[in-house]
Amino acid sequence: MSFLVAAALGVGLLIGVPIAAHLLRRGRAREQEFPPTALVPAIRPVARQRSRLEDRLLLAVRVLLVITLALLGATPLVRCSRLSLARESGASVALAVIIDDSLSMRATLANGDTRHQLALDGARELLRSAREGDAIALVLAGRPARLALAATTDLGAARRALDELEPSDRATDLEDAVELARSSLKQLPHVDKRIALFSDRAGGPIPPGEPPVWTPLPSLSEDAPDCGITSAEQRGRRVTVHVACNSPSAARGRFAEIVAASASDQRAADAGSGARPNPGTVLGRAELVAQAGPQSVGIALDTGPIAVDARLDGNDRLAHDDSAPVLAEAAQLSIAVTSDRSSASATTGGTTLLEQALAALGNVSVRPLPVVPDEGRELESHAALVLDDPAGLTPEARAALHTWVERGGVAVALLGPRATLAQLGSTLEPFAQGAVRWEVTSAHGLDPTSASWIGSEAESLKELSPRGRARFEVSESSRARVVARWDDAVPFMIELNRGRGLLWTLGLPSSVDHSDFALRPGFVALLSQLAEQAAHRKGQKSTLAGVPWSFPAGSSIEVVGPNGREEVRDVQRPEGRSEKVVLPGVAGRWQLRIDGEPELRVVTLSAEEITARPSAPAEAETRGAGAQSDLRIDASPELALVALGFAFVELLLRWYGRVRLRASGAADRRRRTEGDPARAA
Amino acid sequence: MAERLRKSLDWGKLVPLRLRARSVADGVYAGGHRSPRRGAGIEFGGHRSYVPGDDLRYIDRHALMRHGRLLVREFETETDRALRLVLDASESMAFRGPKAPGAKLAYAALVAAALARISLAGGDPVALDWLGGHSRRALPAMGGREAFERILGALESVNAGGDLSFDHSAVDRSLAPVARHAGRGSIIVLLSDLLDLPEGTLDRFAALATRGRTVIAVRVLDPMEAGFPFEGPLRLRASEGREIVETDAESARTGYLEALERRARDWDSRLVPRGGRLVRATTDQDAVEVVRGVLRAAEGTPA
Repeated sequence: MSFLVAAALGVGLLIGVPIAAHLLRRGRAREQEFPPTALVPAIRPVARQRSRLEDRLLLAVRVLLVITLALLGATPLVRCSRLSLARESGASVALAVIIDDSLSMRATLANGDTRHQLALDGARELLRSAREGDAIALVLAGRPARLALAATTDLGAARRALDELEPSDRATDLEDAVELARSSLKQLPHVDKRIALFSDRAGGPIPPGEPPVWTPLPSLSEDAPDCGITSAEQRGRRVTVHVACNSPSAARGRFAEIVAASASDQRAADAGSGARPNPGTVLGRAELVAQAGPQSVGIALDTGPIAVDARLDGNDRLAHDDSAPVLAEAAQLSIAVTSDRSSASATTGGTTLLEQALAALGNVSVRPLPVVPDEGRELESHAALVLDDPAGLTPEARAALHTWVERGGVAVALLGPRATLAQLGSTLEPFAQGAVRWEVTSAHGLDPTSASWIGSEAESLKELSPRGRARFEVSESSRARVVARWDDAVPFMIELNRGRGLLWTLGLPSSVDHSDFALRPGFVALLSQLAEQAAHRKGQKSTLAGVPWSFPAGSSIEVVGPNGREEVRDVQRPEGRSEKVVLPGVAGRWQLRIDGEPELRVVTLSAEEITARPSAPAEAETRGAGAQSDLRIDASPELALVALGFAFVELLLRWYGRVRLRASGAADRRRRTEGDPARAA
Repeated sequence: MAERLRKSLDWGKLVPLRLRARSVADGVYAGGHRSPRRGAGIEFGGHRSYVPGDDLRYIDRHALMRHGRLLVREFETETDRALRLVLDASESMAFRGPKAPGAKLAYAALVAAALARISLAGGDPVALDWLGGHSRRALPAMGGREAFERILGALESVNAGGDLSFDHSAVDRSLAPVARHAGRGSIIVLLSDLLDLPEGTLDRFAALATRGRTVIAVRVLDPMEAGFPFEGPLRLRASEGREIVETDAESARTGYLEALERRARDWDSRLVPRGGRLVRATTDQDAVEVVRGVLRAAEGTPA
C-alpha cells in the first residue's frame, strides 16, 4: 500500500466528526440568545424524540458516506479483482468465449465451487464489461465441440445463452473448440479479436494460431483427485466395472460396489418379474487398486437377472461419476453373415473374406448364420445382415426379414450366380423385383462418380475384373434408388428404405472367383458405410457421452435421459440425406421410444476424461495476448454511485424528519387547543 | 468615551443616525402642520370616554343624559404639544438577529430621532427619558435648533444594559418624572420591545394618559422575534433574567406567536380606551411607515 492509498484511507478517520457531532447534539441542543424566551413554550419530549428519530439513522448514513468517500479516494489505487476486457483505443472487441462443459469441469475445487460454476461466473464477469458493438461467440469444449452461440452483437442473447449452459459428462475437445472459436471470429470485421478459454485444460494441448488463447482463470487447473466408473457390464452372473482414477490417492481404500437399481430402472430394463432386492442393496463389492489410470474390477453376483448399478464408496472431488448403470451385455455392433464358405472363403482357408473385412472394421461382432432365420426375433440381436450370393429367400425368411428391417435392421444382398438358382417359392424380394440374371459382361468396373458417397476408395472399384455380374431390374414403381453403376451405366447397387431399416442390393458377390471386388479398398469402405448405417438405425446400446445417435428422418423418436426429455434435432447431411440426431451428453440410462418401440441405452464416460490431469496455463496465457486484457478494474464508478446514494438517503431522512416533526407539532397544538376550552372558543 | 459606547451598540445599517432621522422625517412629513393636540380650545374635536383625571368641565352632560355614559368633549387647539420620548434601553434592546439591519435600540433611536425632528419642526418641545440602559442622559422638554442636536447626542451615547424584568423600581424611577413633567396635551411615546418589562408596567404607562395626554407604545421587535424562524431542537436563553427554555422549534412556534400576539393585544386594549394605541414595528420595516403610524395614533386617526 502506497502513501497515497494510506492517505486516502486515512480520510476514513473522519467518521469521528459525525460521531462527535452526534454525541454533542444528543448531549445538548444548540443554544441561542432570544429575548422573548419567556413566551416560548418548553416542549422537551418532542425535541428528544427528534434526536432519537434522526440521529441514529443519520449517523449511520453519514459514517457510511465518509467511509465510501475514503474508499472512493483510494480506488484509483485499490482495485478489485474482476475479469474485464481492456480495450485498445476504445475499439470494439470480437470475443469468442470457450466454456469447457466436459465431465472434469464438474469437479469441486477447494473453495467449494465446481469448475463449471467458476467458469460460468468468470464468463459472466467478462460479458459485463462488454459494450455495444462488441461481438460475442460462445463455444462449448465438450466432445464434440459445439457452437452454442454464433458471433453476435446482441449482448443480451449472449448472457441468456450463458445462463442456459449446463455441465455434461462429455470428454474434452479443446483442439476442435479452439479451431471452432477461431473460425467463428474469422469473418467478423473487428480488428481486436480474442479467445477466452474457461477450462481446466485437461484435454490436450491448445493448437497455436491467431488469435492466441487467453486463459483468464488459471485456478480452474487446480488438481482435483477423482475416481469414476466409466462403464460396467454384466455377462451372466459376473459384472465387470471399468474404473478410471487420476491419482492413486483417489483410489486408495475405495471399493466398487454393485447395488440394486431403482424400481423405475428395473421396469425400464424389463428385468424379469422375480424377487427383486430393495433398491440400493449392496449385492457385491471389490476393492480398487491404488493406482492412477484405468482398471477393471470383476464382481460375482448371486442374484437373478435384475437391473443393477455400480458405484464407488468413499468421497472424492467429483461425486457425479461415482455411480453408473450396469449394461446387461457388452454392446458391440452385431452383424450377421450368411455365405457359402466353400466358395467365399480364401483358398488358404479360415473365415470368408467378407467376415474378415467386417472384423477389420473394429467394434463389430460378426455372427455367421447358416440360413436366414424364419423368425424375426432371431434377428433382433443383430444390427445388420449380409447375404452373400443368396439363392433366394423362403416366404418365412422374407417375412422375418421384412419385420426386422422395418424395425431398423440393415440388410445387404451381394447377388451372384446362385441368384439364378432360386428354388420354387423362393425369391430375392425385397432386394430385387422379378428375376435376376447372371450375365457375362464387358464392363471393367464401377463408374467412380456414381459411387462417390463411399469416399475416395470408390476409385479402387474402377477395375474389378468381373467374370460376370448380376443384372436386376429397377422399376419406376419401386422406391429403390440406384446409388452405384457399372461403367456401362448398368445399375450395380440399389438402395431401398423400408420403415426404419435399409436394404442394399449389389450386383457382385464377395467371392474372388467372380471378381476382385472383395480385394478392393472400396469393398471395406462399403462395409464401413454399412456398419455406420447399422449403428445409426439399429443403434448401439452403449455409447460414450457426446457421441450422437442418428435415426431415419421419418421415424418417431422420443428420448428421455437422466435429466429429463432430450431434444431430437433434424440434421441435413452433406450427401443430401436428412436424419434425426440426439446428442446424449449425460451418462446414465436413457430410455428411447423409436416408432413406439421402447429401447434402453446406456451412456458411459470416457476413461481419458477422468485420468487426464489439468495443465496449468503459461503465465503469458493468463495475462492475455499483448496484455490486451486486464484482470483488474477500477471500482470508482460503483463507489461514486454508492456515495451518491448515501447522500440521497441523508437528504431523504432529513426531509422525512421534518415532515414527521411538523405532523407531531400540529398534533401537539391540537391537543393543547382541545385541552384549553377558552382558546378553542 | 461616547465613541466607545457608540461602538458597543450594534447600530448596523442605521448609521449615521442624523441623516437617517432627517431622511425618515422628510419622508413622513414636509411643511407646516396642525398640532395634533386635542384638549381645551375653540374648535370641537369629538368625544371620548371619560377616564379618571379628566377635567370635569369638559364632561358632556347632554351626552350623559342621552346615552347614560360619561363622555368628554375634545377641542382642537393651535397651541404647542410637547413630545415626550421614553426609550427602553434594557439589555434585550441590544439584540440583533442575523437578518436585522441593526439592534432594536438603534432602530428605536432612529424612530425617536425622526419623531423629534418632526415635532421640533412643528415648534413643539421634545423631552427624552429612558428605561434602563447605561450612559443614558435624560433631556427635559426643549425646543429650538439646538434641541435636535442634543437629542441626537443623547441617543447616540446610550448603551443598552440592565435587567428590568423584576426591577419595578426602575420603571417607577423612569416614569415618575414623565408623569410629573408632562404637561396637558403632551404626547408620550414609549419605544420598547415590551418583552422584559416588569409586571405592572402597562398599568403605570396607561396611567399617564390623563390630563389630555396621549400615550403611544411602539413595540420594536427583531424579525427573528417576530417570526421565530428556528428549526429543530433549541435551547433558548433570555437576554434579561436567567430563564432558559429547551424546546422544539416547529412545535413551539405557534404557541410563541400566540403569546406574542396576546401580549400586544393586552397593550392595545389598555391604551385605546385612553386615546392611545400600540404601534407594531420590526427592525427590518421601513421606519417611515412606523413614524407615520405614530403620528396617526397621535392624531387619533385609524391605523
